[in-house]
Amino acid sequence: MLRLLPSHVVAAPAPRPLATVDPARGDALIRAEGLTKTFGEFTAVAGIDFAVERGEAFGFLGPNGAGKSSTMRMIACVAPITAGTLQILGMDPVTQGPTIRGRLGVVPQQDTLDLELTVRENLYIYGRYFGMSRAELRPKVEELIDFAQLTERADAKVEPLSGGMKRRLTIARSLINDPDILLLDEPTTGLDPQARHVLWDRLYRLKQQGVTLVLTTHYMDEAEQLCDRLVVMDSGRIVAEGSPLHLIGEHSTREVAELRFPPGENAAAAERLAGMLDGASERAEVLPDRVLLYVADGERAVARAHEQGLSPVSSLVRRSTLEDVFLRLTGRSLVD
Amino acid sequence: MLDTPRRGVRTTGLRPRMRVVEYQMYVGRRIWRSVFVVSVLQPLAYVVALGVGLGAIIDTGGHHPLGVSYIQFVAPAFLTAAALQIAAADASYPIMAGFKWIRTFHGMAATPLTPAQICDGQLIFVAIRIALNSAVYLAIMAAFGGTQRWAVLLTVPIATLTAMAFAAPIAALAATIEREGNAFNMVFRFVVTPMFLFSGTFYPISELPHWGQWLAWVTPLWHGTDLARGVAIGGLGAGAAIVHLAYLLAWLVAGVALARWRFCVRVTR
Repeated sequence: MLRLLPSHVVAAPAPRPLATVDPARGDALIRAEGLTKTFGEFTAVAGIDFAVERGEAFGFLGPNGAGKSSTMRMIACVAPITAGTLQILGMDPVTQGPTIRGRLGVVPQQDTLDLELTVRENLYIYGRYFGMSRAELRPKVEELIDFAQLTERADAKVEPLSGGMKRRLTIARSLINDPDILLLDEPTTGLDPQARHVLWDRLYRLKQQGVTLVLTTHYMDEAEQLCDRLVVMDSGRIVAEGSPLHLIGEHSTREVAELRFPPGENAAAAERLAGMLDGASERAEVLPDRVLLYVADGERAVARAHEQGLSPVSSLVRRSTLEDVFLRLTGRSLVD
Repeated sequence: MLDTPRRGVRTTGLRPRMRVVEYQMYVGRRIWRSVFVVSVLQPLAYVVALGVGLGAIIDTGGHHPLGVSYIQFVAPAFLTAAALQIAAADASYPIMAGFKWIRTFHGMAATPLTPAQICDGQLIFVAIRIALNSAVYLAIMAAFGGTQRWAVLLTVPIATLTAMAFAAPIAALAATIEREGNAFNMVFRFVVTPMFLFSGTFYPISELPHWGQWLAWVTPLWHGTDLARGVAIGGLGAGAAIVHLAYLLAWLVAGVALARWRFCVRVTR
């Protein structure tokens, strides 16, 4: 049935079936080219290109100040872009901001819940901003209270809820309009491990339902858990792109051997160890308290260290993680 | 089968603005009793203390130096001044909190609502509250003999217009300041209170020296007071009434434009 709507009423399309995405067809949900954001003299985002396909979980990784949040605020059609092009759901944020926002779900870095209202009221009121009717909202609110595992607190004020509960409510709230894309800006920052795992479980469930997720994080485990594909940002630029596994393969070795020597002896030990490494892909890194050997075979590297007459206080062999990639690409120095 | 619209999202007109009003009503539901008590007690105190108490000294021996009883003279001015003060308060810290502490407006900005709609909705909510408050005020004054003609009902929209003409630029300020809001204390101490004292609330401004009259003419409160008093006790020419209305509307239009701009700057940064 085709309903004719007055021109100022924007029709949201019916949910489409999940199609296999052909990047060549260019039907990316988000497409950015040369995307730039400056604040006066300061360049927060320095001309980045990326595309997010339907059903994908896409991550922006980077240290504080890398430009992740600025990028997210532009995708959310809240902050205007300074230069470049940005298309979301095939539309231009400048001219169709309200329409695009009507089809996005946003989990901001800082909660914007109303602490004086109850869990149920927060969900209801937020749905009203999207123009949803009371009748539409009644079942939706119940469904989301259940999704957020807040049934017992549904009529409690938000104020005394734990950080994890508030975060789940914020995520539930962002789903009130059945968004085509869910934007999550550091969804689990500040939560305890239990709360983070519950949240990941919720997000994983959404991903399986085919919701397109775009998230920023500086937690590597979060990125590995949730992202199909991610970009690493540093100083407003994209410095690497790919799946977590691809990035580890590309920018790190298979294993890392961590050898701990007495204080003051680490640098000298590293120098001797560096000689036995395969210079093309393997490398050694000195930290104040230990030496890291990025190698294909960690056990063998430890054995060879002992053969060389080195005796570390302790040694540990582990798989390379996204964290190694991240530190390699964005450096160890603090960004404050 | 053609795509059936899942939902038509209205993005222009009054309706999105009323969503913001609806939110404020939800929040206000929890505190309306205390708000109501204040809105009854304040006019009661003013009317009894000044209208009745001070009026007894001014209107000695049945003689009315101002042409009408003192309570009839001050009642429409109190109504207007109270409306302005309450609106200024409602447009200050509560709006600042919406940006800074509760961050409600940032949440709204992530939805189809535009910054201008959020701003308008917030101001409409304040206007509704002021209109209701003014109606209560009027009823209390009527009970003490502060009114004598039906035209006095017009003081409610006049007071609301005056209040919003002043509250809109306050909302712009509230959307702008980043720190703890000491700017509001300055506004209340050095603008709102003096305005109350020198805008013809207690006496005609013709009693003031010439420069004082000039100051009064600049304030929106004097124009609102003179207009409200004019409809309540008569004696105001059509020309003067039009000038008052035009001046108040100019403040309102400029103030709303300013507030919308500051809301937009604040949420889109």
